[in-house]
Amino acid sequence: MTYKVTDEGDTSTVFLDGEIDMDKTEGAKEVIFPLIDAGKNVNLNLSSVQYMDSSGISVLIESHQKALEKGTKLVIKDVSKSVLKVIMMAKLEQILNLE
Amino acid sequence: MSTEVSDSTNLSEKKDFLVRSSSLKDVRSFSREVFEKFKINEDLREELVLAIAEAAQNIVKHAYKDYPDTQDRMAVRISCTDKELEISFFDKGKPVEKSKVKHRAIDDVKPGGLGTFFIQEIMDSIKFKEGDKPWINNLVLTKKL
Repeated sequence: MTYKVTDEGDTSTVFLDGEIDMDKTEGAKEVIFPLIDAGKNVNLNLSSVQYMDSSGISVLIESHQKALEKGTKLVIKDVSKSVLKVIMMAKLEQILNLE
Repeated sequence: MSTEVSDSTNLSEKKDFLVRSSSLKDVRSFSREVFEKFKINEDLREELVLAIAEAAQNIVKHAYKDYPDTQDRMAVRISCTDKELEISFFDKGKPVEKSKVKHRAIDDVKPGGLGTFFIQEIMDSIKFKEGDKPWINNLVLTKKL
């Protein structure tokens, strides 16, 4: 997994790519959590993430809940078809902010 | 990767992996390669890969919870007839307590507890067996084709 972060005002956009599994989740958290802790709204662009397992889904839930606690917003953008299928299997499409 | 049986109606491939989270990508690669070879429907392939990866992850996370630096290996065998796919996992970790294997309530949204749910959603049956020596655990997943 690699990542890129861009900033615009109070919103940071995190571009992740590759396959997000148990081995990659700590890396994803290390990128996303400090942004939320700093009070940023975070757009998580997943267009280049082709595979995500339950560990990756847990990062999405944890990030979403952390943003709610901090009064910011996490928006998940451009989800690939394969990852959307997993999000829907977890019945999270109405819980997470998907765009 | 070893081919155990290979004729027109019964195919089987088996491979072992070091019990580490870093092996999960190799488990997925093996599974994708086998499903392509077995000509499994493309729509089904990635779901099956997810179920296999979740089961392998459970071995790393639970059967070897206290042994992150183990040198033990786990084995995955994928067998296929024209009607059914059978996926077996073998490991030498802590014996599985079947009563403790359950997913979280799906409407209780919190991190964790989804791996077993995904496996149940994707597969038709899940059976935990005692492994034949030298294995301790043998998980068998099946899916009708």
